[in-house]
Amino acid sequence: MLESLLEFAIQGIVLGGLYALFAVGLSLIFGVLDVINVAHGEFFALGGYLAFAGIVLLHWPAAAGVLGAAVGTFLLGLAVHPLLLGPLRRRLGRRPAGPLYLVLTLGLSTFLQSSLLLAAGGDYLRVPPHVRGILDLGVTAVAYQRLLVLGTAVVALAGLFAFLAFHRQGLAIRAVAQNPEAAQAMGIPLGRAFTLTVALGVGLAGLGGALMAPLFNVYPAVGFPLTIKAFAIVILGGMGNLAGALLASFVVSLVEAFSVMAIPSEWQNMIAFLVMILVLLLRPQGLLGRAVVR
Amino acid sequence: MLIVEDVRAGYGRLEILQGVSLRVPAGALIGIIGPNGAGKSTLLKTVVGYLRVTAGRVAFEERTLAGLRPDQAMRRGLGYVAQDGGLFADMTVHDNLVLGGYALPSRRAVRAAVEAALERFPLLRDRRRQVAGSLSGGEQRLLALARALVTRPRLLLVDEPSAALAPGMIDRVYEDLVALHRSGLALLVVEQNVEAILAVADRVFVLDLGRNAFDGTAAELRDSDRVRRLYLGEAAA
Amino acid sequence: MSRGRRRWIAGWTVLALAGLLPALVPHPFVLTLAAQAAVWALLAASWDLLSGYTGQVSFGHAGFFAVGAYAAATATKHAGLSPWLGLPFGAAVAGALGLLAGFPALRLRGHYLALVTLGLAEIVRLVAQNWLALTGGPFGIHDFATYPGLPAGALGLRQARYLVTLGVAAAAVAAMAFVCETTAAGRAFRAIREDEVLATSLGINTTLYKLLAFGLSAAFAGLAGTLYAYDVQLVSPSVASAGTTSLVIGMAVFGGLGTIWGPALGALLLFAVSEGLRFVGVVYNLIAVGLVIVVFVVFLPRGLAGLRRSP
Repeated sequence: MLESLLEFAIQGIVLGGLYALFAVGLSLIFGVLDVINVAHGEFFALGGYLAFAGIVLLHWPAAAGVLGAAVGTFLLGLAVHPLLLGPLRRRLGRRPAGPLYLVLTLGLSTFLQSSLLLAAGGDYLRVPPHVRGILDLGVTAVAYQRLLVLGTAVVALAGLFAFLAFHRQGLAIRAVAQNPEAAQAMGIPLGRAFTLTVALGVGLAGLGGALMAPLFNVYPAVGFPLTIKAFAIVILGGMGNLAGALLASFVVSLVEAFSVMAIPSEWQNMIAFLVMILVLLLRPQGLLGRAVVR
Repeated sequence: MLIVEDVRAGYGRLEILQGVSLRVPAGALIGIIGPNGAGKSTLLKTVVGYLRVTAGRVAFEERTLAGLRPDQAMRRGLGYVAQDGGLFADMTVHDNLVLGGYALPSRRAVRAAVEAALERFPLLRDRRRQVAGSLSGGEQRLLALARALVTRPRLLLVDEPSAALAPGMIDRVYEDLVALHRSGLALLVVEQNVEAILAVADRVFVLDLGRNAFDGTAAELRDSDRVRRLYLGEAAA
Repeated sequence: MSRGRRRWIAGWTVLALAGLLPALVPHPFVLTLAAQAAVWALLAASWDLLSGYTGQVSFGHAGFFAVGAYAAATATKHAGLSPWLGLPFGAAVAGALGLLAGFPALRLRGHYLALVTLGLAEIVRLVAQNWLALTGGPFGIHDFATYPGLPAGALGLRQARYLVTLGVAAAAVAAMAFVCETTAAGRAFRAIREDEVLATSLGINTTLYKLLAFGLSAAFAGLAGTLYAYDVQLVSPSVASAGTTSLVIGMAVFGGLGTIWGPALGALLLFAVSEGLRFVGVVYNLIAVGLVIVVFVVFLPRGLAGLRRSP
């Protein structure tokens, strides 16, 4: 009993690290641009494909493959605001956006997903573990690959929070999130902050995809279910609240992991949505309240 | 230094400025007064670039500002303090000041500018680690002013520095404005508090319904029956 | 008769003739595609009634569609309900779910609502996939009756079934256009979209009309689902996938939001493009759909209908 409890806990925590990489980026983009990035999961998938290309096709060392995938998604992410979101923002001016940003990123999601399908085919691609071996904990054991996922997620998120707290561009991003007009009066170009924010957010998703590639298989639609689940997590944490998204990631992943004991695993995926709907009805501001990026 | 000529601007189809002109000579302290809805704040927002100029000319130091975004105008040497202060309420006093130095060329320049601001406003030094939103109204106004100075402007636009402040605090803010003016900074100040601005401004422009109604020195304004009756009445009472 | 009115009549006549055309083609494949196009048109128009008119964005129309389809199929298969009654039954079940979903909508706006409806559709999909006894699980539900009383013979039945699908879909789209353009409810929907606070202050019962829009929109989406079920004779969980919603929204944006006829027409055109590209390669049609959505949102946010209004 203790053994399986511990196993579920480890599984939940590792999964939580992945959810956090994904959901914190999504929440960051929402907090700064007020845009829900429906295409977030496609950048996760892209990260997986880039890792596959680097590690399997080009025989790079695993670390280079993962890093390359994260950097590659970041660079592609740099194009999203200047090419898509920015032109729509300028076109709208002061008029309300309504559903247009959601629809736009939905279109991007469809486009990216089918482009991946075209480029790489629909087959499940396998990436070998970045690190091999198993850590024996006595009562249970855990693969080093899972620890690597968790460790990298922790380091990457710590890096993001430090960047937002101390770096000039990080401060600028928070300033834009809190008060865009005043940020402009400081000489901060909104476009640059938006561009960087989107790239950071999707870069984290790409990193997640590269890390998880050996655990999931890589296929074009691999990220979409994660996107939907991350919506639930972001709402649970309070939209735009990064610390909230972090906390909610682990809440959802642990509840999911332990729920296996009570309900059949096919129904497991529903938990996040039920939680989301309950939260919206009872406490729409989320666990930690709606807060902009802080 | 700043030239505004026959400027028209507004929100979408709603035109609020219908041909406004004014000049700010180098080093001058110029006031703008007028009833609510006259377009005073709109004028500042238009000069800074938040609103688009639909007709007329805005030039700063002989170069046009038309078509520039606010962040670009700031890099040309304009500073702007919004009516609500425009502070980043959830960030510390220190981070607010550092953001003022966003456009400065180096970390060292930012550190020096922040230090100079704290020098000028010692009260803020004690509150450096405090979140800006937790300051009192008067302290927030001083922080907004200090932060605008970190951007190293040559002309500072200030929207209603006295709004919602206790009388003692208004005097305090105006002492700082006058000190800045003496040190050579040009200022363009929009004000509802007519007495406060008449006491310090080199010249005051009166706006009404989006147009120039009158302009002159404080003495000339007080001498004009029409101005006294229409625009200074409330303040004199 | 004014020129505008003549053109209006001419346009609808051409469209009606075009709709009847496939019925003359003695090929089941063409009839199946044409029926699906009609179903998509109805679904896109139903999305527009809610999201285009009242501005409450639903990301869950695949869910309402699937609920209508499953309700009709299971009632016919397990309870022997006549498909003629299955049409209103499926619509009613979906409408009821829509009303239920409408309650959180009273408190939520914009992003939140979109995400809740997306979650709802995902729950519908998971239920469809996992409740084997009722839904047949991942493989879906099949072997249920279609409309009784239609001509016998494989091709004759196929043609008659197409005409039923076309007729019901066209009537439903016309009904939605009537409600949105001529009734007090339609005016209330638009008032809510423009400014909800103002609408309330004008004495419009926004609660009532938001619920009404949700219920109506979900019911028509469900009706589209029942038409789909009885025509295709197979309902599987994938109809509830977010991809369905994505396509529907793409069609509506392509056609022009807030016009009913725009999304219906956009659905027909985009469906034709998408099916046409299938011959080039299965992948290209989805790339095209994604591109159409992106390009239209950025450059032509008012869709095809916007081209007509402001050339």
